[in-house]
Amino acid sequence: MIKIKPVFIGLFFLYSFISFSQNKPFSNSTLKIFFQKKALQFKSETNFNKAQFFFIKNNLDSTLVYAMKQIVSSNNKELTDYCHYFRASCFYNKSLYRESVKELHLITNTDEILPLKKIMLGRNALELREFKKALSYYKELIKTPQKANQLYSICQVYEGLGLSYLLIDDFKKAEYFFQKNLILRKKETDTKGIYTAYSLIANLYYIQKKNEKALEYFKKAYTIAKNIQNFETKEFAAYNLSGAEETLGNYKKALVYRRESEQWKDSLNNQNKVWAVADFEKKYAVAQKQKEIKVLEVENQLKNTQRNWLFFSAIILLVLLTAGIYLYAQKVKNSKTILLQKNKLDELNATKDQLFSIVSHDLRSSVHALKTSNSKLSATLETKNYDELNQLIIQNSDIANGAYSLLDNLLHWAMLQTKQLYFHKESVHLHSIVQQIEYNYKPLLLDKSISFENSVAKNCFIFVDLDSLKIVLRNLLDNAIKFSNENGKISFYTSENNSDFCQLVLEDNGIGMNQTTVDQLLQENELLAKKNNSEIIGTGLGMQLCKQMIKKNGGKINIESQANKGTKVILLLPKTASNG
Amino acid sequence: MDNINILIIEDTPEQSDALIKVLLENNYTVVGVARNFTDALKLFYTNTVDIIIIDVFLDGKPDGITFAESINIIPNASKPFVFLTSSQDRQIFERAKLTKPFSFLMKPFNELEILYAIEMAVEKFYEQTNVFLTEEQDTVISNDFLFIKKKNSLKKVALQDILYIEVEERYCNIITEKEKFVILISLTKISALLDPAKFIRTHRNTIVNSDKIEEIILADNLIILQGNHKINLSDTYKDFIKKMNILS
Repeated sequence: MIKIKPVFIGLFFLYSFISFSQNKPFSNSTLKIFFQKKALQFKSETNFNKAQFFFIKNNLDSTLVYAMKQIVSSNNKELTDYCHYFRASCFYNKSLYRESVKELHLITNTDEILPLKKIMLGRNALELREFKKALSYYKELIKTPQKANQLYSICQVYEGLGLSYLLIDDFKKAEYFFQKNLILRKKETDTKGIYTAYSLIANLYYIQKKNEKALEYFKKAYTIAKNIQNFETKEFAAYNLSGAEETLGNYKKALVYRRESEQWKDSLNNQNKVWAVADFEKKYAVAQKQKEIKVLEVENQLKNTQRNWLFFSAIILLVLLTAGIYLYAQKVKNSKTILLQKNKLDELNATKDQLFSIVSHDLRSSVHALKTSNSKLSATLETKNYDELNQLIIQNSDIANGAYSLLDNLLHWAMLQTKQLYFHKESVHLHSIVQQIEYNYKPLLLDKSISFENSVAKNCFIFVDLDSLKIVLRNLLDNAIKFSNENGKISFYTSENNSDFCQLVLEDNGIGMNQTTVDQLLQENELLAKKNNSEIIGTGLGMQLCKQMIKKNGGKINIESQANKGTKVILLLPKTASNG
Repeated sequence: MDNINILIIEDTPEQSDALIKVLLENNYTVVGVARNFTDALKLFYTNTVDIIIIDVFLDGKPDGITFAESINIIPNASKPFVFLTSSQDRQIFERAKLTKPFSFLMKPFNELEILYAIEMAVEKFYEQTNVFLTEEQDTVISNDFLFIKKKNSLKKVALQDILYIEVEERYCNIITEKEKFVILISLTKISALLDPAKFIRTHRNTIVNSDKIEEIILADNLIILQGNHKINLSDTYKDFIKKMNILS
């Protein structure tokens, strides 16, 4: 019994080894190529493609799933058969032999994989210990004629037959097929195959108790195994050899081989460990890399934000700079304007001061004249000289009138300056207004014996503010009288030459002015025109007021004058829009 | 032809006296002088007033404007008025301006200015501007009166006193029960301004006050008015008879 044990152990290894070697379907590259070709041919069948891909990769579960999907979804019988084959293989590898057999029986249509089906059935039968059945499958196969490029190797059949015979104790036939297998394997120089063949033969002899022969073959298998880069194979070979030596009583040798076997086993474990460690390291490295990537990503992000920040701050700075420059330019401009305005204001203020002093002087002299006149009046009253009294009263009223008109102008000017003046344009009958103005100056005209003529057209209506017009006309008439000689002539007349404007002319034949004075008078903001006639002191206020009032009424003023011949003041005033 | 009745609202006696003098000289009738707001209202309602002259400031308060405002809100009570003011205060003017039609006279003023202002006030009030100062027309027509310019003054004639109007080119002969006079106005204007229900065209150049018709003799084409005025009736204008309520 002791002797048998290693044999069984050996057989056990043998089985697994056979399973291992045979079930790696793609040690047989023809089969691999065959399925890849099929995959290319049925490109559109994704499920089949995936199934075969995973099948080649030896991924059993995925293969099962996709093969099933393909079987359910498609009615391509050829592909269905292949898928059944995939599933059978997978079940076999998962040691679900009965399931595998079921799948295999579903393969019905495709002749190409019938041999494969049979091999698979044989294997399953072997695993299920139905040796006779297995034998029958393999016998069927061996009868089929061999072809080039067939999907299976005849060696597989030989191996299967041999094993079947071995297991039903027909050692002679088993030996025959094993030897045949060995020869063929040697021909193919398939080291693994040779190793398997030797092992099988060795096991055969071992079971028959032909220990010497068994030892010989075990040794051969052992030598071959040395060249195979697989710890498991090496382990089995050493183990088998040790078992053989042990049966022969060479315990020392057996021990050596057993040790070697153990060593290989350890190596295998070590290798597994190493692989595990390597795997772990790999994972670790991947994790590390991942971390690095993350760090890099974060860094990148940081850089991006930094860059964005820089960009935006640059823009903001630029904007600030532009705004600053703009504001500075504005400030410079403003200060320039302010300076100009200041100068102008200074000038105006000076003018105002001058005006103030002149007006005060005028008023003072007027009031002074009244005062002296009044004391004279009372003195004359005592003497009861009525003629002189009358004269004095007339004189007083003249002075009062002059002062009044001065004050009136001053008031209007002030109101115009402070924009308090009420301004209301309406249709005005020019002839009547001239008449009304003249009415107030009748005594003065009479006094100087000036003949007055109002020949303004009676159908002339102008659209102006009545009071400002009156101010203008009063001033102009006052001036005309002032600068007229005794027995002079003053006339107002209109001349029709424009549909929008009424041209009103005030003509006198007084002392007139030279062109310079005219220009000065018409100049903007020139408040004080110098007077050539020093006897008649004026402020120029009246003229200034006239110009501004006319402008406000939308009219124009012009002066034509010749010294000692007379003056013509021409006013252009807007007519009332005729409405029928 | 009657004088125009003027109510003066003025608190300063010297100024009102000067004003009265000017108005009387120019044949206006002054119906009263009010010194304050209450007097003004009393006088306004107890007298027949055609034109009011209002001083803006009464005792330093702008009661003149208040008066104008109060008569303005009563329908049909409002009359043409002239503001007198010495102030050029903007705010006061803004307020016064709201009492349309708005005419004002700045103190001091002379005789011509006040007469002009009165004429302007009448023109503006009855919305017939540029009448008195042109040479084509001298009459403003209100709902009750003709305001006629005679020399420097205005006169009025009640429309209900008119018997008929005879048109002669640019002139119109106005015939009332008592008198007969000529005004300067065109036929188109006068017929546009008179109430067409009351004043009826009976002939190419005749307008008759329908209230004054006593008898229409269709056989002779004659209309007999009060005071036994006989008017010719032209065929073209006979249609008006249909609109009248004929007794017999």
